[in-house]
Amino acid sequence: MGSTGLARAIARIEGRYGMHALARGGASERHRDELALPTGTSLDLVTGGGLAAGEPLAFVGPASVGKLSLAFRVVAAAQRTGGMVAWIDPSASLDPLAAVRSGVDLERLVVVRARSAGAAALAASASLRSEGFRLVVVDTGPAFAGIGSDELAPVLPSVRGSPAALLVVSEDRRGGYAPSNPRLVLPTCTFERVSWERRFERTVGWTFEVGGPRGHSPLDKRALFAVPALGAAATDLGRRAGLAEAAAS
Amino acid sequence: MTGPVTLAVVARDASAPLHERLLATLRGALPRVGVLAPGAFACDLAGTDRLLGAPPVVARRILARCERAGAFVSIGIAPAPFVARVLAERTPPGELRAVSDGQSYLAPLSLDTMPLEEKVRDELALLGLRTIGDFAALPRAAVFDRFGSAVARAHALARGEYGDLVRADAPPRRILVRRVWDDAIVSREQLVFALRGAVDEVEALLATDGLAALRLDLRLVREGAAPLRIDRTILPPARESAALLRSLRWALEERDDLGHVTGCALGVVEAEPARGRQIGLFAPDGARWEEAIATARYLRAKLGEGVVLRPRVVDAEARLPERATEWVEVTR
Repeated sequence: MGSTGLARAIARIEGRYGMHALARGGASERHRDELALPTGTSLDLVTGGGLAAGEPLAFVGPASVGKLSLAFRVVAAAQRTGGMVAWIDPSASLDPLAAVRSGVDLERLVVVRARSAGAAALAASASLRSEGFRLVVVDTGPAFAGIGSDELAPVLPSVRGSPAALLVVSEDRRGGYAPSNPRLVLPTCTFERVSWERRFERTVGWTFEVGGPRGHSPLDKRALFAVPALGAAATDLGRRAGLAEAAAS
Repeated sequence: MTGPVTLAVVARDASAPLHERLLATLRGALPRVGVLAPGAFACDLAGTDRLLGAPPVVARRILARCERAGAFVSIGIAPAPFVARVLAERTPPGELRAVSDGQSYLAPLSLDTMPLEEKVRDELALLGLRTIGDFAALPRAAVFDRFGSAVARAHALARGEYGDLVRADAPPRRILVRRVWDDAIVSREQLVFALRGAVDEVEALLATDGLAALRLDLRLVREGAAPLRIDRTILPPARESAALLRSLRWALEERDDLGHVTGCALGVVEAEPARGRQIGLFAPDGARWEEAIATARYLRAKLGEGVVLRPRVVDAEARLPERATEWVEVTR
């Protein structure tokens, strides 16, 4: 292939997958272990070792199930590796106190209150292209006020080859909000509420499970977490299969 | 004149434009020019006799150049920068004076000339010291014991023996790389790829001088259209081609129609000495931090104020949640 043909091929690849898609020599041959952001919880078992740089992942589930709680854990994990985190927050709903309770270092967090889907996509793309961030979180916000995850489609080419991972936190909009055939398909962890915790006839907390990125992971691959009280950090209960084995023994 | 020799140039009441014009004029005539204050400059001429000529000859040349630039300056030539500056300040505009013994020249001058605090000057006056010569005659150890290091430094200046170096910069070097392409480039991606060669060359030139680019100027030559000029500030300053190319790419993405590009001229408008981060040896975390802050600044410029923020817990026990935290703009 001549130099012009090679240039066109590289330009086409970079146009499709982003500037970091190609690298010279061994620069691109990094092991996934170096790029992963393990949280140290059962979430890692579900996600195959944690989020990794250059990979997208979505947390999807109903409102107030525990998505943000686990997202904060991922943020704290990214910060433990010495990195900065960008939090794109179109609905301006980030609670710093809850973040601190989950171990987030606010000094290493940059919050972008992008007011439109376009601004959120711009902020996410710029953060992913920057060498400064280890993780970029896009909280699409509540179904009635936030942005649709489909509107983040322009961001995806920037993820591949980026030194940062992309985490999209999105509300489950199957209840009439989301299109039946979404354009944006991301590896997704599904969040489902399993049971309510009740004491003295009052609901004080709940348990939820997280399914793997394929969406239909088997039961033994699902992780369980408990929220003992409103506002409290989620407690890791382990894998569902592990619990069953413990109960049997 | 042998040994150390400093030439000081002073323009009284120099405005900012005049200061810049004088600096450019002096940089065209002298090897390294230091800025002492607005309108006051100094150059260490030690050992430059054979190259530039004797200091008075150099000074007369500078007087003529400054006059052509519309500035009437005074020039002082002395062994030490402080003496040269004092001498220039006491020389009428358009003239030059030279002294070979700094201490003798300073001795009859008032103590007000020295960079001393008012309190110290009053105390010296109470001791009956009125001139720099009186002050210089004090024992060095006694001055240091009684007044500390700052006054001891002034005492050394008064004796004409403080060899303070002129902190001077080399004239800014013009880094400019040109490329001409046979076939017009119409795609942004192809243009970014084609620019890579030019950016690699800029990186090599910056590395030669140990510099990092702070501002880039890209001029795109287009078929049937006026040249497109793009001015980019690189924050943090960088010389790695990846960082420079990324910044240019962002700038190109902001333009919908680039036209048919047939050539480019890429120049470094401002540069600063590269720090350890640019060499890639030190503080990788610090580099990431600076890169993140640079991205935050970029987003702030694009999205406006009140958008790129950092939360801070003010009072975790506050009864109202809005009083528990505050949000500050990310600037550093």
